[in-house]
Amino acid sequence: MSAPKALPPPARDVEEGLAHIREFGLCIMTDVLAGPNLARARDALYRAAADDRARGRERKFGLDYGDDDSNQRVWNVLSRDSVFEDMIEHPLALAFVRGVLGWPALLGNLSANITGPGGGEMVLHADQIFVPEPWAADPQGLNVAWCLDDFTEANGATRIAPGSHRLNRAPRADEGDVPTVPLEAPAGSMVVFESRVWHKTGFNRTADQRRAGVFGWYTKPIYRAQENWFLSLDPAIRTFASDDVLVLLGYKAEGLGLVYGASPA
Amino acid sequence: MTGEPVGALNVRPGQDDGQRDARTRLREDGWCVIPDILSPEGTARALERLWEAAAESERRGVATYMPVLDPNVHNVRVFNLLDIDPMFRDLIRRPTALDLVRSLLGDDFLISNFTANIARPGARSMPLHSDQALVVPAPWAHPWAMNIIWALTDVRLENGATLYLPGSHLCTDRSQLPADPAPLMRPFEAPAGSIIAMEGRMWHTSGANVTQNEDRALLFGYYTAPFLRPQVNHNATLSAETQAGLDPDMRRWLGLEADANVGLVQDVFTPPQPEPDRAAEPVA
Repeated sequence: MSAPKALPPPARDVEEGLAHIREFGLCIMTDVLAGPNLARARDALYRAAADDRARGRERKFGLDYGDDDSNQRVWNVLSRDSVFEDMIEHPLALAFVRGVLGWPALLGNLSANITGPGGGEMVLHADQIFVPEPWAADPQGLNVAWCLDDFTEANGATRIAPGSHRLNRAPRADEGDVPTVPLEAPAGSMVVFESRVWHKTGFNRTADQRRAGVFGWYTKPIYRAQENWFLSLDPAIRTFASDDVLVLLGYKAEGLGLVYGASPA
Repeated sequence: MTGEPVGALNVRPGQDDGQRDARTRLREDGWCVIPDILSPEGTARALERLWEAAAESERRGVATYMPVLDPNVHNVRVFNLLDIDPMFRDLIRRPTALDLVRSLLGDDFLISNFTANIARPGARSMPLHSDQALVVPAPWAHPWAMNIIWALTDVRLENGATLYLPGSHLCTDRSQLPADPAPLMRPFEAPAGSIIAMEGRMWHTSGANVTQNEDRALLFGYYTAPFLRPQVNHNATLSAETQAGLDPDMRRWLGLEADANVGLVQDVFTPPQPEPDRAAEPVA
């Protein structure tokens, strides 16, 4: 594999970002969230995380390092604060979804991964591993990651194998230690990576830093959503949702996900 | 890939020789027939209740004619059978059917849909398609979907038997299909009370009913691998009353539980960590 060994520089616009995704498997857009918007999203996420921890509602994820009580996953982030509704339909996020997956697409999940001091690495993986190989020629999903803190090598920035998406397969068991690059980006950045690129959470080697990323996972519309929105979504979101959000959550459907043969909204 | 058909279409024509196990025939030929699953009385009762379900569907405001699927009104389509009559909730989980489903799709299958198509005299054919190719991008290396088709009447060429392209379930992309499939198409013929199992990659079309006075009634139980989105949103189509009456197996098979494909991910890699026993701790 003649894969690039480094990350692309921040992309200036969607067109350049899409070119980076084709070459590297990912692109970085800086300064997407800033000022009060960033502060509000960050406060909302840490409040939800603290609430889960206090109430014993944390749930582990199978790809995480099992004996880890420092890192924390937060699920169904979408229902935790209306600021996250803006996130899933942010014009830049939807431009990448349309550019990589086409439309309609589905939101499989909106979850967060907060690394904590001493937190362990994840298993190296590609996000579309639930699709049996051989894979189709195009990516079947897209992750739009929102950095709510600075992502640094030391605090557990997601580690990526740039260009690994071109292999069009999942990493084998003996490839868990292939070289990866820490995805360093300032708070407020959006990192977009397609579903075949190999990546994992990095080690958090700091004594006192947590870093939070919110991950919007989008798929082509034929796949079952990771989160069962029909059970877990705050009903207010459906009530006030835009047409784009209704599509993303499966309420505005064509061909699949119908109710009595027709779109439910 | 070249544009020429490959050997896929030269496999045995898939005649039901009865010598091989049904699961083997399904895997190798892409289809099989198992007769006498329903008794003659049971079949007649099921057909009667299907017509009642069609009437109930119309009463609920759901049309039984789908212009997008069928060229004329002689095909009667009934959706949401699972909500309308408990008989259909029984048929969809019959052990013989689920045994075939598990043998092809594994234990973690989903019930994607259960619908009926009654071809009345004058019903015409749909375009050629495979259920999997309609929604899943190539290559089609594995079966990710299948139909269990319940024959509530005799099914034969003249009354609109489903026509299939033998061996086409082994085509991994469109370039391997023959340029002119029409002369190669064969009918799935089966007596009333049979089930016909067909895997999702088989290219097929509904036949034309050229009889004067004979209906051809089929139920289509559609099952998929667990990571594919079901054709219908069972969370919304099944009434609260119906959902309340489902046992845990049915809830899982219908995708009504909270966990979706993360369970599969956990099986592939590390086993899930046991949850600490928080129930014993006070919630501060």
